[in-house]
Amino acid sequence: MFHWLEKNPFFFAVAVFVVIAFAGLIEILPNFAQASQPVVGTKPYSTLELAGRHVYIKNSCNACHSQLIRPFKSETDRYGHYSLSGEYAYDRPFLWGSKRTGPDLMRVGNYRTTDWHENHMKDPVAVVPGSIMPAYGWMFKNTADIDTAYAEQLTVMNVFAVPYNAEIPMADGSKATVALADTVEGARASALEEAKVIAADMKDQDVKDKIAAGEIPEIVAIIAYLNSLK
Amino acid sequence: MNKTVLAAIIVVIAMLGFTYVAVEMAGGVDKLMKDGDWVNMLAILGAVILVIVTSFVVTKYVRQMQSDTATGKLADENWDGIGEYKNELPFGWAVIFLGSIVWAMWYFLAGYPVNAYSQIGEYNADVAVHDAKFEAEHKSMDAETLKEMGGSVFIVQCAPCHGLQADGIDGKAANLTHRLDEKSVKHVINNGGNNFKTDYPGGMPPMLLQDPAQIDAVAKYVASGFKADDVAGKAAFTAGTCNTCHGENGEGMPSVAPKINGWEATMVATVLKDGKKGAIGAMPAFNNLTEVQVKALGAYVTDLSK
Repeated sequence: MFHWLEKNPFFFAVAVFVVIAFAGLIEILPNFAQASQPVVGTKPYSTLELAGRHVYIKNSCNACHSQLIRPFKSETDRYGHYSLSGEYAYDRPFLWGSKRTGPDLMRVGNYRTTDWHENHMKDPVAVVPGSIMPAYGWMFKNTADIDTAYAEQLTVMNVFAVPYNAEIPMADGSKATVALADTVEGARASALEEAKVIAADMKDQDVKDKIAAGEIPEIVAIIAYLNSLK
Repeated sequence: MNKTVLAAIIVVIAMLGFTYVAVEMAGGVDKLMKDGDWVNMLAILGAVILVIVTSFVVTKYVRQMQSDTATGKLADENWDGIGEYKNELPFGWAVIFLGSIVWAMWYFLAGYPVNAYSQIGEYNADVAVHDAKFEAEHKSMDAETLKEMGGSVFIVQCAPCHGLQADGIDGKAANLTHRLDEKSVKHVINNGGNNFKTDYPGGMPPMLLQDPAQIDAVAKYVASGFKADDVAGKAAFTAGTCNTCHGENGEGMPSVAPKINGWEATMVATVLKDGKKGAIGAMPAFNNLTEVQVKALGAYVTDLSK
């Protein structure tokens, strides 16, 4: 019965491909779909956090900082629990990075605070002796792009069904909601509210003045993003 | 004589000749014997055996190919005119085949599911081994070792904010070589405080003192270490009823008010557990530390303010 296959090598090749592809389909895909589900407690980014993420990408932070804790004792001691794939469910794109010139930032929100980031971004050597990280003074002057962040939020909500304005289960059993405004004006207002909370913990007078005038400096956005990395 | 055998003999003689020349160039067998160089003697012996055996085997099979004829029964099927003999399976081959079926069953049912590698499994095993070793090594630690351990934990976990000298890097974080500075005392008097939620759940109400001069006096008195000759400071301290909870010399009172003339291990533990927010800024909770590490940090920080 197999003579036919052996005499038709093209169809034989197709048949082999179909068999192997099917095995791959039923073995790899369900596992992959399962692992890429958001981990309980993973929330989508708020408007300000997403604007901060854009600042992070714009300044190529990922060239020196990874966001991927590997399951080694030495890493989990220093950075916290190893990363799970579901924790990147709302990262588009993920910022794993490929090189650690600086430390990993996957869970930096757990062990650094707003005021530390402020001091550090202004003058890294002042808080970390011997640091080779450059100062990011312009982040205190540039204004964060809230509109683009809002546009991205709307896009991922409509295209990828990212659960904005929906209840998200948290690790302690409670529910959290990440609100997304209906209009860009609403998004700007809610981002400003969020920024005020962060600026209250900061010392830079220019930043405080800008926030009071309704403008959000990039530094506030990136601190919001870094604080959200947990 | 057969042509193949003749060729083999010529090749053997030529190869042995080469070997002989090579050995002579190296000083000859006599020199090797005299030096006791057994490694090279064995190499020569090996070369000779190799030449002879190889020639013999090759000759045998070449002659077999020249004279052999096929025997056995042809199978009915043929592929483009190429047939196949119906030979018995070689015995060893059959045993290996059956054995591999048995092995595959074991591997499928038990071998793989039970022993399968997983990265997380390796990590968990690693951590378990480390924890067991750590436990055994530090079962009974003396105070000095505990402090030393606290010092190393401090460098990794605390120094990024509090500085390697624990001085808070010019007011960017709390100065741990000193329990309280004036700024913090003023902040707590004005805003109240509830930084040690676990150990002192009541907290402290704000505005127990309202006169700025008195607040300054208390701040100076507390920050400079309860000096007996600071009469104004002591008076203000009493006037603000600070002493009723914190004690005459700031030694504190269990579950009512923390010690304010120095650090103590329990205070360090509660800050690490709950985090803290004060005059300087916020400190996050460090719940990733183990119990022993917290104890060690407590010992280290307590020692800093002595």
